[in-house]
Order: sequence, then structure tokens, then C-alpha cells
Amino acid sequence: MRLLRLALRSLVREWHLPELRTLAASLTLAVVALGVVATLATRIERGMLANAAELIGGDLGIGSPQHLPDTYATQARDEGLSITQGAGFPSVAFAHEQSQLLDVQAADAAYPLRGQLELRAARGDYIGHGPAPGEVYLDHRALVALSLKPGDSVQVGGRDLRIAAELLRQPDGGELFALAPRAIMNLADAEQAGLLGAGSRARHRLLVAGEPSQVARWRSWAQAQKLPQGAELITPEQTQERMRSAFDRASAFLRLTALLSALLAGVAIALAAQRYARRKTTEVALLRALGTPRRRVLGLLLGTLGALAVPASLLGVALALGIAQAAWSFASTLFTSVPVELPLGPAFAAAAMGVAVLAGFALPPLARLAEVPPVAVFRESMARRVRRFDALYFFPVLVALALIWSQSGSARMAGILAASLAGVAAVAALLAAALLWFARRVAPGAHPALRLGLAALARRRGMSLLQATALSLGLVALLLLAIVAPALLEGWRRELPSDTPNWFVLNLQDDQRAGFEQALGKLGAQQLNMLPLAVGKLTSINGRPIDQLKFQDERAKDWSDRQLRLSWTDELPPSNRVVAGAWNGPSPAVAEVSVDTMWRDMFGLKIGDTMSFNVGEGTVQARVASVRQVDWSSFRVNFFLLLDPAHAKELPHTWIASFYVPRGNTEAMARLSRDFGNLSLIDVDALLDRVRDIVDRVSHAVRWVLAFSLLAGALVLAAALAASAAERRHEAALLRTLGARRGQLRAAAACEFALLGLVAGLTAAFGAAGAGWWMGRAVFRIEGFVPPLGPLLLAALAAAIAVMLLGLAGTRKVTRTSPMQLLRES
Amino acid sequence: MSEISRPLLEARDVSKSVRGPEGQLDILRGVSLQVRGGESFAIVGASGSGKTTLLGLLAGLDVPSSGHVGLDGNALESLDEEARADLRRRLVGFVFQSFHLLPALTAEENVMLPLELEGRDDARPRAREALEAVGLSARRRHYPAQLSGGEQQRVAIARAFVHSPRLLFADEPTGNLDQRTGHHVSDLLFALNRDHRTTLVLVTHDPLLAERCQRRVELHEGRVIARGPAELTA
Repeated sequence: MRLLRLALRSLVREWHLPELRTLAASLTLAVVALGVVATLATRIERGMLANAAELIGGDLGIGSPQHLPDTYATQARDEGLSITQGAGFPSVAFAHEQSQLLDVQAADAAYPLRGQLELRAARGDYIGHGPAPGEVYLDHRALVALSLKPGDSVQVGGRDLRIAAELLRQPDGGELFALAPRAIMNLADAEQAGLLGAGSRARHRLLVAGEPSQVARWRSWAQAQKLPQGAELITPEQTQERMRSAFDRASAFLRLTALLSALLAGVAIALAAQRYARRKTTEVALLRALGTPRRRVLGLLLGTLGALAVPASLLGVALALGIAQAAWSFASTLFTSVPVELPLGPAFAAAAMGVAVLAGFALPPLARLAEVPPVAVFRESMARRVRRFDALYFFPVLVALALIWSQSGSARMAGILAASLAGVAAVAALLAAALLWFARRVAPGAHPALRLGLAALARRRGMSLLQATALSLGLVALLLLAIVAPALLEGWRRELPSDTPNWFVLNLQDDQRAGFEQALGKLGAQQLNMLPLAVGKLTSINGRPIDQLKFQDERAKDWSDRQLRLSWTDELPPSNRVVAGAWNGPSPAVAEVSVDTMWRDMFGLKIGDTMSFNVGEGTVQARVASVRQVDWSSFRVNFFLLLDPAHAKELPHTWIASFYVPRGNTEAMARLSRDFGNLSLIDVDALLDRVRDIVDRVSHAVRWVLAFSLLAGALVLAAALAASAAERRHEAALLRTLGARRGQLRAAAACEFALLGLVAGLTAAFGAAGAGWWMGRAVFRIEGFVPPLGPLLLAALAAAIAVMLLGLAGTRKVTRTSPMQLLRES
Repeated sequence: MSEISRPLLEARDVSKSVRGPEGQLDILRGVSLQVRGGESFAIVGASGSGKTTLLGLLAGLDVPSSGHVGLDGNALESLDEEARADLRRRLVGFVFQSFHLLPALTAEENVMLPLELEGRDDARPRAREALEAVGLSARRRHYPAQLSGGEQQRVAIARAFVHSPRLLFADEPTGNLDQRTGHHVSDLLFALNRDHRTTLVLVTHDPLLAERCQRRVELHEGRVIARGPAELTA
């Protein structure tokens, strides 16, 4: 207790020291960065998973690509369960010469069985059920996109429907980033419009609700039945699991960015702690000389650190909660509007992590203080021991690894991340060292201010490299997201020729082909590419049933359970290239299949293997004749699996087509949709716009977090400035004594920090450009993508200016140092 | 008036006080002295007597609380820090007890500093000449850490006279050196004083060094208690 009082008193006395303030600020920043992200992530996750039953709109369900046999509903009714039937599919809605791809759900009057359907009409908000025939509910985004309001009329699936209400919230509308705006229409309307016919993309759904025992009985009954092909049980747990995994991927990046900030704050903490330890050396030597035991010295230091950590981390928690709350209100339109209370746990967990960072990075220099010998009171040099291997230096590394592991959730991922972070840091440090070396070569002929600035950087070489690396890391993350990602997307879009197919049509029947082609011809559509589409399931490879085969690739299992889309054609489609084997002959003796490279890798296929598929009632056995490389970004109709037409043409199928219609033909497309009511028309332009919109929004959200990495980088700069303050004051005093004007000192400092910023900015710009180039080739497959060097270099320049201003602000006092100080130091 | 007789440096009734936690503290009280061009002048006294403060005031590093300090006819108390910095750059060189070389610059670069601050183009050749004059041309590319204490002080002396100042202030120039090296360094200082007619003002504890100066003052508790050579016992 007495020790704590002593520690508190010491903290209050020493609070004016910049290094203690840096320690506190770094800890607060680490807690805020980790806390904001964790709080937001938890809140969104909780929102999504709040009520699992609500998420699917019932207690249990069956989803199926075909109509479910009536026995399932009958059995459920017999059990005393309530049921609702419906289907979901994409469809383009038309109104006022505008079109919009909608995520349509067809529902009956019983929908929803669990949760509430919240609606808004002229009479106010109300809780409702599935719409009546001839009516539709549209969500806010759909209304805005089509310039509509409740009471207006909209065309969906070729039928004119009255908008009965605005859809505010629906139980199963919990997708984080729903691709398209949503609509709910009447199930009978959808059936009559032919939207749910054979071969449509609709997914049918039967939901049940009731007493848990009834539900359980129906569940075992349903599981005992042989579910139709492609059908599966929809359970609340499953939905939770799927959402969780989708969300985990999205939040991992945010969490890791926050962690980067925290670790950078750790660097600032280490610098400040080292400076503090140096300052305390004489005091500790004196305490030891006066007989204070080593343990007590250590206790006093730890007590001071603890007394600082508690208020700093509490402040961090408060700020994190405040910012998270503000961000939630700001971004609530982006996420589903599930009312979820602000969770407090994650912010406190972040505080614990922040304290771990503080302990991890500050303890090594402070703990070594306890080793200062009492004789150091006479000779300070005695306090500086010979550098030797010290296990304490592993402590921050261990803390960093543990935090990365805790945030990424897997040891392998943690290893990869730690290695990449270390890699980026190493490259940044090397580049910075090279640039500094180069700058030093050109120094002798340079302007005196520049020479002095360079000399200052070279004088504190280690510190300069550390600062440049920390700043680079923060900047790379920011540049990647703010400059490279949009350029990549734009490059990808530009790569598509102007007559790239911008519409897809699904569900075209054999007898509609001629009429549809004719109608398109009148519209002036180009690039029509029509292929048959059969839906089937992979049953065996080389005669061995698929469920008995084991694959290393996790995706293989997933695909073997799924409904597959098969097609056939005489000619190798454009944007496909045969990389092995020979393209299917026109009428081979045995059925042939061409697989894409992903399938080859996933299932370990080779030419000559046989694959069997169930399609409808029949079976096809085909020999793998070729492997294709497919350009999936071409926006043409492409398939993983292509059969030869001779053996496949009798399979039950519909047609899928892509074509190009110049923008502005909305009215004509609406007519087409009306004339062919069963077709699903997909507007790719709208889809692309939506993708860009999502990317924009996500980048905005992420920039919030990236701002923390920049702040952390600035903090490292501040800590380094504080650490070198005494040295800087000494130099300033000397130069002042020799007659340097304040302006000259300021110019030298400006040069020094501008150079540091330029080194960090250039390193980050090259790093971001390299990563962008690599992603352009490997991920987006854009041939000849050149990262936007202009904006990146401008950003590097901006970084140089920002760092210069920060540095000047930080050294303002130094340039005012009195030259008398030099005489006093003598 | 010939150069030797004209007072290049003058202090008239100079006092310096600072405000401490226990009220006002008088460091210098009514100090008056005159140093003529080309002269060598020593300020001696015990620790805390105000020697360093007086040197700082004479060199224009600080301004007196009251009184007048004239440097080459300029009243330092009426100039701001920037103007005094200009004067120092033109007229003054410094040698310190702990050398104060910048560790990241080579010997030559350290010597170039005052010329660079003046913005002169011939900094490098002149720095080489200055180093040659102190016998260190072979070590011009060495960093301070690679030089002995005596060598560092010789670099500092080269830096102090490279821009041909009229006045050289030295604060305990031999204080950190052994007796033999100290002797060499002081020889160098007096040679400069003699050959270049550079006025030398030094603060020292060392009676032998003080005796080599033409004139001396002794301070005690901020006052001049003796003037030399006659009155001084040191």
C-alpha cells in the first residue's frame, strides 16, 4: 500500500515528463484502436446473430432449388406446426424508365413465422405479413433507386404491382452487405409470372414453427426422407455459422489493422520507456546507494507504470465506446438496422490488450533499471552495462505474436501475418536505409540546411530507420485502400471492352429462344452468347462414389454437395483457353467433359479420368478430355464444366444468355421483361455499380481504422522526438552559439523531417504500388495494370509535408533553446 | 585610436539576476571590464562565482538584467537574439571544455559549420586550411569518436578560428585534458592570439593558463574582487 502511494506520488511529480505522457498517449491510442474495432465488430455480429430463429423467419426450414413435394408441408401441418412457403430469386424491377436489380422474396400471407416484418406506409409504421396478390414491398434502397414511393406501381417479373409499403426490416434480411435492394412479393404472383418455373434461379423454401418437441419430430422425419436433389435443411445454427464465417473474414482485416496500430503504439511505448529508464538511472542508483532493495525499486517502477496505465486505459475505453457509438450511428445504413445495445466487454478486453502491449514493450528497459549498481552514483557510465543477450528483448515479440494469434484465431494465420508484417517492416527499413545512404552521398554539395538535416538523420540513424519504418507501415495500409484499390477496380472495369455483355438472362426455355433472339435483334443487342444450362450433381469420379472420396482441398467437399451448372457447346467459348488435352470433338465416341483449372486442382483431375453426373432423372458419364483456363472477369457466360453436345443435348435444360444493350434502353428492357415474364434479367451495369458502391462504403469504414495506424505512426514520431529532445537541444544550442539564426535551425529541422517523411512516403508508395501490381496480376488478372504512380507519389509528397509539419511542431521548443545551455553543460 | 587600445569588448556595471524558487538570485553584481582588440584576457574565480554567466553575457549568448555590454561598438542588451546571433557569426569563435563537436559530422564537416552558417562557398578549402594549421589534416575524415580528447579540442579550435573571428571565447579549454595535452592546446590558442591578433577571452580554473594572459579579473560571488596582473594572486 505504501509502495503504491509512493508510486502515485512519483507519477504526479513526473507527469510533466514527455516520455510519461507518450506512454499514456500510446496506451490510450492502442486501447482506442483495438476497442473501437472490437466493439463495432461484436455489435454487428451480435446484431446478426441476435436471434437465430428470427434470422431465418422460422424455427426450421428446408431450402431447395425445386418445388418441394407437398408431403413436407402436410407432415408439418399434421404435427401441428405452422408453415410458410416462399422463394427467393434475383429479378430486375422497372419503373419510370429506370431499372434496378432486386433481391426478391416471394412470400405467402403466413410469412414470417418468427420475428417481425416491419413496414411503413402513409398511415405510419406497422408490423405486417407477406403482401396480398398484386402488391409488393420495396426497401428504402429500391425505392430510392427507382424514384418510387408507397402507392406507386412497379413492374417485377413482367407484372405491374402496387407498392403497398416500404420494407423497413424483415427477419431474414440480416445479410451484412446485401448485394441488391430487397423486395417482397406475393408467392402466387411469382408463380403465375413463371418466375419460379423449372430451371429458374429461384430457391424455394418451406419454413415451420411450433413447439420445440413438434419441431424436433418434424426434423427427424424430414431427415429420414431422401431430400430432393440440392435441397437442404435450414437450421438457425447453420445460418449463424455461415454468417459468422462470412463476417469473420471481413472483420479480420479490420482487427488486424487495429492491431497494427496497437503494435506501432507499442514501438512508441518502447521508445518512451527507454528514455524514461535513462532518465531514472541516477535516481535508481541513488536509491540503491541509500540501501533500497532491488525488489522495492522494481516495485516502485511497476507501481508508477500501473498508476499510469489505469487512467490511460480507462480513458481509452471511454473514447473507444464513444467513437464506436458514433461510427455505429454513422454506418447504420450500411449494416442491418438491428437494435443492439453497445457491448462493453470488447472495449475492456481491448484495455487488457493495451496493458499487455504496455507491459510487453515497456518492461524490458524498466526491468533492467533494477540492475543499476549503487556505484553508478559516482560514475554514471557504470550504469551502462556491456550489451549482452537478454531474454527480456523477446518479451515484446512474444506479446506481439500472442496478440496477432488472438486476433487472427489460428496459429497458421498468425504465422503468415507475423511474417508478412515483419517482411513489410524489413523491406521498409531496407528501403529507408538505402534512401538515407543515397541522400548522404549527395549531401556534400547540398544546401547547408539540407546538409544539417541529413546530418541529423544520420546522427540518429537507428531512430530514423525506426521512425521511417513505423510511418511506412501506417502509410502502406492507407495508400493501398485509398489509392490502389479504387484504381484496381477502375482498371478492371476499363479492361472490359465497351460492348461487354451488360445483361444476363436466365431461365429461357427452348420454345422461347427464337422469339427472344428476334426481340433482342430489334433492340440492337450485340454479342449475344447463348448456352444451354442443365443442373446436376457430381456423383462419382473414376467410378468411385463422390461421398467416399477424400480431397485435400476443402472446397472439393463443398462443391461435391452442391448443385452444379453444366453446359455444352461445339466451339470453345471466347475467353476460354485449353491448357491440357484437346477440346471436345463434335461427336466423340464416349461423352467428354472439359473442366476448368480450378476444378482440376480441387479434385486432382487429369485427362482421361471419368466423371459421373446426375442430371434430372438421368446420368451422364463423361471422360475428362481437356482442361480450360477461363477468364472469369470477362462477363461472358462461362462454366466450370462443359460437356460435348452430342451426348448432352437431350438433358433437361433451360438457356442462359448474355448480351450487350447500350445503356438507356430501360423502357425496351421493361417491355422485354413483360413479354417474357418467366425470365430473370440481370443488369450487370447495376451490379457493377453496386459492387463499387459496396467497395466505397467498406473503404470508408476501414479508413476510420486506418486513421489509427497513421496516428500511431505519428506517435512513434513524437516518441522518437521526445527521446532525442536532449540531444537536439544540445545541437541547437551549439549551432545558436556559432551564430545560427532560428530560421536556419528551422530550415534544417524542416529538411530533416521532410526527408524522413519522403523516405517513409516513398517507401509506402513503392510498397503500395508493388502490392497493387501484384494484386492486379494475381488477383484481378488485369494484363499490364500499372498502379497509379502519380497519385501515389503525390501521397508520398503529402506524407513528407505532414511529417515535416509534425516534426516542426515537435521541435518548436528546441529551436528556441538558449545558447547559454551549452556553457552550462560544460 | 590604434586597434590594440580600442575596447573591442566592454562591460559596464553589468548585473544578472534570475528568479529561483526562493526568490531572486543575483549571479553577477555590477561587473565592469574592458578588453582591447588583440588582447588575451582571463576570467578566474571559484565555482559558482559567475564566470560562465559573465562569459555568456560578453559573448552575447544572454543579456544582462542591467548594465551595458558592448561588442565591437554594439550594445548587446539592445539587440534581440537574432541580431546577437548575427554578431556572433561574424565576430566570435568558441572553444568549450567538452569540445561540443557534432558526433555525426567528420572533423572537416564540423570545422565547416560556421562558414556554412554564413552561407560561404569556400567552406571546404578553408576548413582544410584550418585543420592543417592545428596539425590535423590527416584526420580530417575522422569522426569525433575516432579522435582523442586533445585532437577533438584541436578540431574545436580550428572550428573556432576558421571564419577569422575577432574574438575567441574559451570556456575551460583545457579542463578535460591531461596536463601535457592541455599545454599543447593552450599554446595553440595563444599562438592564434599572437599571429592573427585574435582577441582571446577565457574562463579558467588553471592558474598557469590564467597567468599566460595579459590581463585577468577574479570573480567572487558575482563581483570583481581583483584585477590583474598586479592585484591577482592566482
